[in-house]
Amino acid sequence: MNIVEVITLINRMQADGVIERYGIGGAVGATFHLEPVATLDVDIFVAFRREAGSLLVSPQPIFDYLTARGGRLEGEYVVIAGWPVQFLPPTGPLVEEALAEAVTILVGDTPARVFTAEHLAAIALQVGRAKDKARLLQFIEAGRLDSARFQAILIRHGLTAAWQKFEQQFLRDAP
Amino acid sequence: MSFDLQKILAGKRALRRDLAQRGIVEKLQMLDALRERALMLNAAGSGVSNSLELRETPTPYRAGGKSTLS
Repeated sequence: MNIVEVITLINRMQADGVIERYGIGGAVGATFHLEPVATLDVDIFVAFRREAGSLLVSPQPIFDYLTARGGRLEGEYVVIAGWPVQFLPPTGPLVEEALAEAVTILVGDTPARVFTAEHLAAIALQVGRAKDKARLLQFIEAGRLDSARFQAILIRHGLTAAWQKFEQQFLRDAP
Repeated sequence: MSFDLQKILAGKRALRRDLAQRGIVEKLQMLDALRERALMLNAAGSGVSNSLELRETPTPYRAGGKSTLS
Protein backbone atom coordinates (compact mmCIF):
# COMPACT_ATOMS: atom_id res chain seq x y z
CA MET A 1 0.00 0.00 0.00
CA ASN A 2 1.90 3.06 -1.18
CA ILE A 3 0.32 6.15 -2.60
CA VAL A 4 3.66 7.49 -3.87
CA GLU A 5 3.78 4.50 -6.24
CA VAL A 6 0.43 5.64 -7.63
CA ILE A 7 1.80 9.14 -8.27
CA THR A 8 4.99 7.75 -9.82
CA LEU A 9 3.04 5.57 -12.25
CA ILE A 10 0.75 8.44 -13.25
CA ASN A 11 3.77 10.67 -13.90
CA ARG A 12 5.19 7.96 -16.14
CA MET A 13 1.86 7.64 -17.94
CA GLN A 14 1.89 11.38 -18.59
CA ALA A 15 5.50 11.29 -19.80
CA ASP A 16 4.55 8.45 -22.16
CA GLY A 17 1.83 10.64 -23.66
CA VAL A 18 -1.22 8.65 -22.54
CA ILE A 19 -2.70 11.70 -20.78
CA GLU A 20 -2.07 15.36 -21.39
CA ARG A 21 -2.09 16.43 -17.77
CA TYR A 22 -3.51 15.41 -14.43
CA GLY A 23 -4.41 16.88 -11.07
CA ILE A 24 -4.93 15.16 -7.74
CA GLY A 25 -8.21 16.20 -6.14
CA GLY A 26 -10.43 14.84 -3.38
CA ALA A 27 -9.17 13.92 0.05
CA VAL A 28 -5.67 13.04 -1.16
CA GLY A 29 -5.40 16.45 -2.82
CA ALA A 30 -6.60 18.07 0.40
CA THR A 31 -3.93 16.20 2.38
CA PHE A 32 -1.26 18.16 0.50
CA HIS A 33 -2.66 21.33 2.11
CA LEU A 34 -4.18 20.15 5.39
CA GLU A 35 -3.74 17.45 8.00
CA PRO A 36 -4.13 13.92 6.57
CA VAL A 37 -7.72 13.48 5.39
CA ALA A 38 -8.66 9.81 5.69
CA THR A 39 -9.96 8.36 2.45
CA LEU A 40 -10.51 5.04 0.76
CA ASP A 41 -9.67 6.00 -2.80
CA VAL A 42 -7.72 8.45 -4.95
CA ASP A 43 -9.40 10.93 -7.31
CA ILE A 44 -7.23 11.80 -10.29
CA PHE A 45 -8.58 14.31 -12.78
CA VAL A 46 -7.14 13.93 -16.24
CA ALA A 47 -7.28 15.66 -19.56
CA PHE A 48 -7.99 12.70 -21.82
CA ARG A 49 -6.38 12.46 -25.22
CA ARG A 50 -8.85 12.03 -28.07
CA GLU A 51 -8.32 8.89 -30.08
CA ALA A 52 -7.74 9.53 -33.77
CA GLY A 53 -10.99 9.59 -35.70
CA SER A 54 -13.12 9.62 -32.57
CA LEU A 55 -15.30 12.43 -31.30
CA LEU A 56 -15.51 10.79 -27.89
CA VAL A 57 -12.85 10.83 -25.25
CA SER A 58 -12.14 7.43 -23.78
CA PRO A 59 -10.36 6.30 -20.63
CA GLN A 60 -9.49 3.02 -22.37
CA PRO A 61 -5.85 3.97 -23.15
CA ILE A 62 -5.39 4.73 -19.44
CA PHE A 63 -6.82 1.37 -18.42
CA ASP A 64 -4.70 -0.43 -21.04
CA TYR A 65 -1.53 1.35 -19.93
CA LEU A 66 -2.06 0.69 -16.24
CA THR A 67 -3.19 -2.92 -16.49
CA ALA A 68 -0.08 -3.63 -18.57
CA ARG A 69 1.92 -2.35 -15.60
CA GLY A 70 0.29 -4.29 -12.81
CA GLY A 71 -2.90 -2.27 -12.29
CA ARG A 72 -6.14 -4.19 -11.83
CA LEU A 73 -9.53 -3.03 -13.05
CA GLU A 74 -12.28 -3.24 -10.46
CA GLY A 75 -15.51 -1.50 -11.42
CA GLU A 76 -14.78 2.11 -12.19
CA TYR A 77 -11.46 1.93 -10.36
CA VAL A 78 -7.97 0.88 -11.26
CA VAL A 79 -6.25 -0.63 -8.24
CA ILE A 80 -2.62 0.51 -8.14
CA ALA A 81 -0.25 -0.30 -5.27
CA GLY A 82 -3.26 -1.30 -3.16
CA TRP A 83 -5.16 1.95 -3.78
CA PRO A 84 -8.38 2.16 -5.80
CA VAL A 85 -7.77 5.05 -8.19
CA GLN A 86 -10.59 6.75 -10.07
CA PHE A 87 -9.79 8.71 -13.21
CA LEU A 88 -12.21 11.54 -13.81
CA PRO A 89 -12.62 13.93 -16.71
CA PRO A 90 -13.11 17.59 -15.85
CA THR A 91 -16.85 17.79 -15.29
CA GLY A 92 -17.28 21.51 -15.71
CA PRO A 93 -15.50 24.86 -15.96
CA LEU A 94 -14.45 24.91 -12.29
CA VAL A 95 -12.73 21.52 -12.45
CA GLU A 96 -11.25 22.38 -15.86
CA GLU A 97 -9.71 25.50 -14.32
CA ALA A 98 -8.50 23.51 -11.29
CA LEU A 99 -6.80 21.06 -13.64
CA ALA A 100 -5.20 23.83 -15.70
CA GLU A 101 -3.93 25.64 -12.60
CA ALA A 102 -2.82 22.60 -10.57
CA VAL A 103 0.51 23.10 -8.85
CA THR A 104 3.53 20.82 -8.66
CA ILE A 105 4.45 19.68 -5.15
CA LEU A 106 7.42 17.43 -4.52
CA VAL A 107 6.82 14.23 -2.58
CA GLY A 108 10.43 13.44 -1.78
CA ASP A 109 11.88 13.33 -5.29
CA THR A 110 8.54 12.65 -6.95
CA PRO A 111 6.64 15.58 -8.45
CA ALA A 112 2.89 15.51 -7.93
CA ARG A 113 0.35 17.73 -9.70
CA VAL A 114 -2.20 18.81 -7.12
CA PHE A 115 -5.23 21.10 -7.18
CA THR A 116 -4.68 24.36 -5.30
CA ALA A 117 -6.25 24.79 -1.87
CA GLU A 118 -8.57 27.47 -3.28
CA HIS A 119 -9.82 25.23 -6.07
CA LEU A 120 -10.32 22.27 -3.72
CA ALA A 121 -12.30 24.53 -1.38
CA ALA A 122 -14.42 25.92 -4.23
CA ILE A 123 -15.12 22.40 -5.53
CA ALA A 124 -16.14 21.33 -2.01
CA LEU A 125 -18.55 24.28 -1.89
CA GLN A 126 -19.97 23.40 -5.29
CA VAL A 127 -20.41 19.69 -4.50
CA GLY A 128 -21.98 20.63 -1.20
CA ARG A 129 -22.41 17.35 0.67
CA ALA A 130 -21.96 17.39 4.45
CA LYS A 131 -18.42 16.02 4.22
CA ASP A 132 -17.53 18.58 1.56
CA LYS A 133 -18.74 21.39 3.81
CA ALA A 134 -16.65 19.91 6.63
CA ARG A 135 -13.61 19.95 4.34
CA LEU A 136 -14.26 23.56 3.37
CA LEU A 137 -14.35 24.43 7.07
CA GLN A 138 -11.02 22.64 7.51
CA PHE A 139 -9.46 24.83 4.82
CA ILE A 140 -10.85 27.96 6.45
CA GLU A 141 -9.87 27.03 10.01
CA ALA A 142 -6.38 26.07 8.86
CA GLY A 143 -5.99 29.48 7.22
CA ARG A 144 -4.89 27.81 3.98
CA LEU A 145 -6.98 29.93 1.61
CA ASP A 146 -5.78 33.05 -0.15
CA SER A 147 -8.95 35.06 0.31
CA ALA A 148 -8.63 37.20 -2.84
CA ARG A 149 -7.87 34.19 -5.00
CA PHE A 150 -10.70 32.16 -3.46
CA GLN A 151 -13.24 34.97 -3.89
CA ALA A 152 -12.19 35.43 -7.52
CA ILE A 153 -12.82 31.73 -8.17
CA LEU A 154 -16.24 31.95 -6.51
CA ILE A 155 -17.22 34.92 -8.67
CA ARG A 156 -15.92 33.35 -11.90
CA HIS A 157 -17.90 30.17 -11.30
CA GLY A 158 -21.15 31.58 -9.96
CA LEU A 159 -20.66 30.35 -6.42
CA THR A 160 -21.13 33.62 -4.56
CA ALA A 161 -24.66 32.83 -3.40
CA ALA A 162 -23.59 29.37 -2.23
CA TRP A 163 -20.70 30.96 -0.33
CA GLN A 164 -22.98 33.50 1.35
CA LYS A 165 -25.29 30.71 2.42
CA PHE A 166 -22.32 28.71 3.74
CA GLU A 167 -21.04 31.76 5.64
CA GLN A 168 -24.47 32.32 7.13
CA GLN A 169 -24.75 28.70 8.15
CA PHE A 170 -21.27 28.04 9.51
CA LEU A 171 -19.19 31.17 9.93
CA ARG A 172 -21.51 33.59 11.70
CA ASP A 173 -22.26 33.50 15.38
CA ALA A 174 -25.78 32.37 16.17
CA PRO A 175 -28.15 35.32 16.72
CA MET B 1 -6.17 15.62 31.62
CA SER B 2 -9.02 18.07 31.72
CA PHE B 3 -12.73 17.94 31.06
CA ASP B 4 -12.82 21.60 30.09
CA LEU B 5 -14.42 21.50 26.63
CA GLN B 6 -12.66 24.66 25.46
CA LYS B 7 -9.28 23.18 26.38
CA ILE B 8 -10.16 19.92 24.67
CA LEU B 9 -11.16 21.75 21.46
CA ALA B 10 -8.02 23.90 21.61
CA GLY B 11 -5.95 20.74 22.01
CA LYS B 12 -7.63 19.18 18.97
CA ARG B 13 -6.98 22.30 16.89
CA ALA B 14 -3.33 22.27 17.94
CA LEU B 15 -2.98 18.60 16.98
CA ARG B 16 -4.54 19.27 13.57
CA ARG B 17 -2.19 22.22 13.01
CA ASP B 18 0.77 20.03 13.96
CA LEU B 19 -0.33 17.28 11.56
CA ALA B 20 -0.94 19.77 8.74
CA GLN B 21 2.59 21.14 9.10
CA ARG B 22 4.28 17.77 8.76
CA GLY B 23 6.01 16.88 5.52
CA ILE B 24 3.92 15.55 2.67
CA VAL B 25 5.82 12.24 2.60
CA GLU B 26 4.87 11.60 6.21
CA LYS B 27 1.26 12.70 5.64
CA LEU B 28 0.86 10.36 2.67
CA GLN B 29 2.34 7.52 4.72
CA MET B 30 -0.38 8.26 7.28
CA LEU B 31 -3.02 7.89 4.54
CA ASP B 32 -1.48 4.53 3.57
CA ALA B 33 -1.63 3.40 7.20
CA LEU B 34 -5.22 4.64 7.65
CA ARG B 35 -6.37 2.72 4.58
CA GLU B 36 -4.56 -0.44 5.68
CA ARG B 37 -6.23 -0.16 9.07
CA ALA B 38 -9.65 0.34 7.48
CA LEU B 39 -9.15 -2.76 5.32
CA MET B 40 -8.06 -4.82 8.33
CA LEU B 41 -11.08 -3.71 10.34
CA ASN B 42 -13.38 -4.47 7.43
CA ALA B 43 -11.84 -7.91 6.95
CA ALA B 44 -12.16 -8.65 10.65
CA GLY B 45 -15.84 -7.72 10.55
CA SER B 46 -16.87 -9.39 7.31
CA GLY B 47 -14.17 -11.96 6.68
CA VAL B 48 -13.54 -10.34 3.30
CA SER B 49 -10.39 -8.40 2.49
CA ASN B 50 -11.23 -7.25 -1.04
CA SER B 51 -9.61 -3.87 -1.62
CA LEU B 52 -12.87 -2.52 -2.99
CA GLU B 53 -15.04 -3.76 -0.18
CA LEU B 54 -14.26 -0.40 1.32
CA ARG B 55 -14.76 2.48 -1.02
CA GLU B 56 -16.53 5.75 -1.03
CA THR B 57 -19.55 6.83 -2.96
CA PRO B 58 -18.08 8.70 -5.95
CA THR B 59 -18.12 12.44 -5.48
CA PRO B 60 -20.86 14.01 -7.60
CA TYR B 61 -18.62 16.62 -9.24
CA ARG B 62 -20.83 19.04 -11.05
CA ALA B 63 -21.05 20.33 -14.58
CA GLY B 64 -22.42 23.82 -14.08
CA GLY B 65 -25.20 23.77 -11.54
CA LYS B 66 -26.22 20.13 -11.88
CA SER B 67 -24.78 16.97 -10.46
CA THR B 68 -23.06 14.78 -13.03
CA LEU B 69 -24.34 11.69 -11.29
CA SER B 70 -27.90 10.70 -10.96
